[in-house]
This record gives sequence, C-alpha cells and structure tokens, in this order.
Amino acid sequence: MKGRTGWIGVALALAGVAMSLVTLWLVFFRVGTDFRQGIVQRIFYLHVPAAWVAFMAFGIVALASAVYLWLGDERADMAALSAAEGGMVFTAIVLTSGPLWGKIAWGTYWTWEPRLTLTLLLGFIYVGYMMVRRATESPERGKRFAAVVGIIGAINIPLIHMSVYWFRSLHPDPVVLKPDGPTLDADMLQTLLVGLVAFTLLFTGLMILRYRVERARHALDIREAT
Amino acid sequence: MTLHSIRRILSVAGPLLGLGVLVFATPEGVAAQTPDLGQQTLGRAYWHVFIAYTIGWALILGWIVSIARRVGALERRIEREE
Repeated sequence: MKGRTGWIGVALALAGVAMSLVTLWLVFFRVGTDFRQGIVQRIFYLHVPAAWVAFMAFGIVALASAVYLWLGDERADMAALSAAEGGMVFTAIVLTSGPLWGKIAWGTYWTWEPRLTLTLLLGFIYVGYMMVRRATESPERGKRFAAVVGIIGAINIPLIHMSVYWFRSLHPDPVVLKPDGPTLDADMLQTLLVGLVAFTLLFTGLMILRYRVERARHALDIREAT
Repeated sequence: MTLHSIRRILSVAGPLLGLGVLVFATPEGVAAQTPDLGQQTLGRAYWHVFIAYTIGWALILGWIVSIARRVGALERRIEREE
C-alpha cells in the first residue's frame, strides 16, 4: 500500500485529531454556557458535527454506489464501503449523545418523534447496507444490492433535515442551516464550526485510510487467486 | 507510505486521542471552569456531558483500532506470501 493518498489520509486524520483537541478545549474551557439548558447544551458540539458527518458519509455512499452501478468500477464500491463504515460510527455517536442530552432537556432518553425515528432508521440503513453485502453467495451481487440500499437510503437525509418543519416535532429547530442565517451566539457558532471542520477532517482522513486498506486487500485477493 | 507506517501512526494517534478526551472531558475539568459554571448544581448533567463525549470518542477510537487491525492482518498476509 504505497502512494500519496495514504499520506493524505494520515495528514487529514492527524489534522482532524488536532482540531478535535482544539474543539474540546473550546467546548470545556472557552464557550459560554447556555442560560436555558445549562451545561448539558455542550453535548450539542459533539452531536451536531457527528450528525453532519453521518449525513455527508451517506451522501458519499449514495454517490459512489451510483457510480458503481453505472460503471461497475470496484474502486467506487470500496469508497462506498469505507464511507458507510465511518457513517455507522458517526450515526452511533448521534444516537447516543442525543438521548443523553434528551434525558436532561426533555426528561426522557427516547421518544418516537419524527427526527429521532428517522435518524434511528438511518442507523438501520447503514447496518442493512453492511448486511446485504454479505447476504448473497456471489460477492458481486451483494455489492450491487448494497449499492441499491445506499442510493435509496440517501432519501432519508433530506427527510431528517426537513422533519422538524414538516411534522410536529419535539426536536429543536435548526439554528445554523436556516434561510435567515444562523441564530447562535458568535462564540457558540465558532465552536460549532471548529467542531464541524474537525470531524470532517477526521472522517475524511480515516475514510481514505480505510479505502487504501480495502484496495490493498482487493489487490492481494486477486494476486492470490491468480 | 507502507502498511507498517500507517499502523505505527494510528497506534500513536489512538492513545493521544484517548488522553485528550480524558483531560478535557472529565466532570472535574468541566467544573473547574469559570466560577459561574462551578455554581451550576445540575450534577447529573455533568455526567451526561462526560458520558456523551466519552462514548463518542470511544467509538471513533474503535474505528481507528479496527483500521489498524486490518492493516496488521494485511501485513501478515503479505509476509506469508513472501
């Protein structure tokens, strides 16, 4: 596994780690405490960047899956698999940090309201993507089925974002991605943006490394078969 | 970049991340901030923040470890072939 992309992956991951440490410092030592929610609001700086990365990952899965179905390029399938694996990790972070905040803010860990339910569904779609890959005797068939799951599953992302507008929802409305601009305090917005960049770098770096590993494994499989 | 160097970098980055989380995300660390924050009496909320960040970073560390283990398995396969 030689090449420049390996180093790019490591550099991005290390930059992500460094920025994550900066984010932790901002979250616990610099940014002010929300006067209504108190200290528990600080989960927001973990929860929102993780959700952003989970959505981005599924976007990559859908795009790479479409390329794989269209061109049959194995590299696209490997990219989709690498993104899906990272997406599962960050969706798990969303699904654990959210209820921990909810217990203090709402008085319950879980409620079957639209955004929470759709996010849980996103987690199940990621799991389904992984399971479908191994569910068939022919690996090629499994990859094609998984690609279809990856594309169809992406429909869930805009649904999750819009669910707070379309349905009666307990989940807070967006405070950054809204038509009339962010309504967050400047310090909070800055901390959130640093967190978003940190997780994006970390995910991208680790995804590239995971992709490199998958390519090396694939090359070895071919070498052993011939 | 060789598989070995990737594994070495990941094995250094992993513990560093864990240390960073422990230093920054402990309830004591949160409580030791400004006096205003120290006056907050929502004790359980401190633990919820701590647990949320710990689980989050444990999951990321788990992914890093799983990549490192796969790199290790590949290295062993290559060594066997050679």
